[in-house]
Amino acid sequence: MTINTLLVKEGCPQEQMACFRKMEKVIVAMQDPDMGMKMRNQRLLITVIPHAMTGHDIITWLIQKYCISEEEALHLGNLLVKYGYIYPLKEPRSLVLRRDESPYRFQTPYFWTSTQWPATELDYAIYLAKKNIRKQGELMEYEKERYSLLHKRINHTWDFVVMQAREQLRASKQRRKADRIVLECQEQAYWLINRPAPGMPNILDAGLERPNNLRVTLNSDFYKREIEACQRALGRNRVKSSNCLEGFLKHSEQYQNHDPIMQGCLPSNPWISDDAAHWTMNADVVPVPTRLRVERWSFSFMELLSDTMGRKEFMTYLEKEFSAENLCFWQACEEIRHGENSRISEKVNEIYKNFLAPGAARWVNIDSKTMYKTLEGIKRPHRFVMDDAQMHIYFLMKKDSYPRYLKSDLYKNMLAKAIVPQETKKSVFPFMRRQRHSSPSPAQAATQATEEDGRVKEAGQAGANA
Amino acid sequence: MGKEECKTMLDALNKVTACYRHLVIALGSTSDSQNLREELKKTRKNAQELAVANRTKLTSLLKDKNISKEDRAEYERLWVLFSSSMELLEVDMKRSLEIGQDFPLKVPTRHLIQTGMTGSTTAVASRAMSVQNMKYDADSNIDTADLRDLQSEITQVTQMVEEMEMNVQVAPWAVEAKQEAGAELKSNMSVGNSSVGVISICEEEPKEEDGRGGGRDAGFASICAAIGFFLIITVALVLGYLVVNM
Repeated sequence: MTINTLLVKEGCPQEQMACFRKMEKVIVAMQDPDMGMKMRNQRLLITVIPHAMTGHDIITWLIQKYCISEEEALHLGNLLVKYGYIYPLKEPRSLVLRRDESPYRFQTPYFWTSTQWPATELDYAIYLAKKNIRKQGELMEYEKERYSLLHKRINHTWDFVVMQAREQLRASKQRRKADRIVLECQEQAYWLINRPAPGMPNILDAGLERPNNLRVTLNSDFYKREIEACQRALGRNRVKSSNCLEGFLKHSEQYQNHDPIMQGCLPSNPWISDDAAHWTMNADVVPVPTRLRVERWSFSFMELLSDTMGRKEFMTYLEKEFSAENLCFWQACEEIRHGENSRISEKVNEIYKNFLAPGAARWVNIDSKTMYKTLEGIKRPHRFVMDDAQMHIYFLMKKDSYPRYLKSDLYKNMLAKAIVPQETKKSVFPFMRRQRHSSPSPAQAATQATEEDGRVKEAGQAGANA
Repeated sequence: MGKEECKTMLDALNKVTACYRHLVIALGSTSDSQNLREELKKTRKNAQELAVANRTKLTSLLKDKNISKEDRAEYERLWVLFSSSMELLEVDMKRSLEIGQDFPLKVPTRHLIQTGMTGSTTAVASRAMSVQNMKYDADSNIDTADLRDLQSEITQVTQMVEEMEMNVQVAPWAVEAKQEAGAELKSNMSVGNSSVGVISICEEEPKEEDGRGGGRDAGFASICAAIGFFLIITVALVLGYLVVNM
């Protein structure tokens, strides 16, 4: 009894199993007597071994059978070789598919990678012992190391290893020479995959172990949970991808000029030029804001409110219009939402006194239903008790005051006053020049090229029509 | 002596296990045939009989309380050999079931994998059964009928292995092997054959990696080439001298 019998794991991870099954289908399709692979003979000195195929044949067959491009066929063929379903005959250690005349052969089903029984240490030890006998001790360096390691690890069955190695060699002596050669190649290919040489990629490596949720008991609880999950999924609001992609596109176009990586940041990128002017100019409170910043305030109401300076400006404007209490109310509600737990009831009371009580100094205009709900909620204050009222006031400001602010003189003056920082002069010496922009993306270059082509074509047509 | 008997039986089981593995490797390939399936069945049955015999013998020996310490250590070593053999047999039986199911023989279009192995496995099976000639007398639907037998036999073997682990108290890690590392090289078996194997495999393995193994042959070949070269040069010089002087 070896320790291996106690740790019976699944053969290979389930994620790879599906791929292996597909690869096996391809391999079996290649065996079709009419439509399958064209087989050639391999000549070795005096022996002739059938069932060899060239890399070129494999790729041609894949292209014809599945109607795919050559690149894809090469990739698919490479996968077949990498996972051990086909092994190369000329250079066994290089598991690549070459599209020339290099010979390949199919691997026998016993040695397929999708087997449920992975290669054990005992098997590997027997293989190394056999190789030792055949090659009179001339193993590769890493094989010698592994041999001695195994000798230590499974020392208790070492007699069995030696006995079995000898017997297996005697058994294979009973076959003809050609079959013996094939057997040796097959075994070698198998072990090159299951115990790769140091430095070679291990294709059986599945990465981090995921929790094994495969053994789920299919009882009524499981199905109840499944039904609930499906019902929740049905009820979810879904946006059509065409709509949300349009929105995403618009957002990207709008913010394109404001992105420091795409457009470069003025005066210079502090990370590159070690000049912190960009940050000081865009600090929370500055005497004069930058133009890009002021432009962003016109993108959405939330942009305006999240910028400290923007909020201040908006407050000034509202004071002129005598509707500043809306913004004060909104700010106070934000403080409750993001503030300390201990002070919530205190803050709620203050809000009630200042904004909601009948005859309050800064009474806000909320509809009766929301007001009733909020007043009920105040009796048991919690963090989100003001949410409805806050939302109502937010939309009020957004629909009413915000558009007027954008059209107002206050905003326009601010925009005119805003500074556009000068780009710092590039130094004269070429090797001192730092990059201001990121390298242009290939997508941009492609669209520019097509735009130019379009313009040239239109100009040509216009010229022809004129 | 019980020990000698045990050893012979274990050797027999070892031989049958090796042959069985060899036969299972040929399953599903172009070596596969009606005969192979029958050989598998017969070898399997033989293996099972040997396994049962071994188990009874060893269990009775180990249960004996009045044996010396060395004897006990020896029997434990034999027990470990036996259980490793059973492990291999069990896995090979399960694998043969899997592959046998995937590659039935009695279908209109057989899709056996063309692995390059085309010879028959009769000699291997004869070796396993210790007979001179194998007799084939199975029905034509052996590939499907046998699978059912195979499944029941697998359950039997699994049960036997479990019973073994439960009933016999042998600590495998306490057993020390008699053979040291590299012991297999000391035997003088198959030296002739292995060199033949080296020549044929060397063609397929790149010389630069396996420098040492192929190096010996390569060195010899290069010496021969150098000698031949100088010989030819000498002959050419002599002929040239003669021509010039004529």
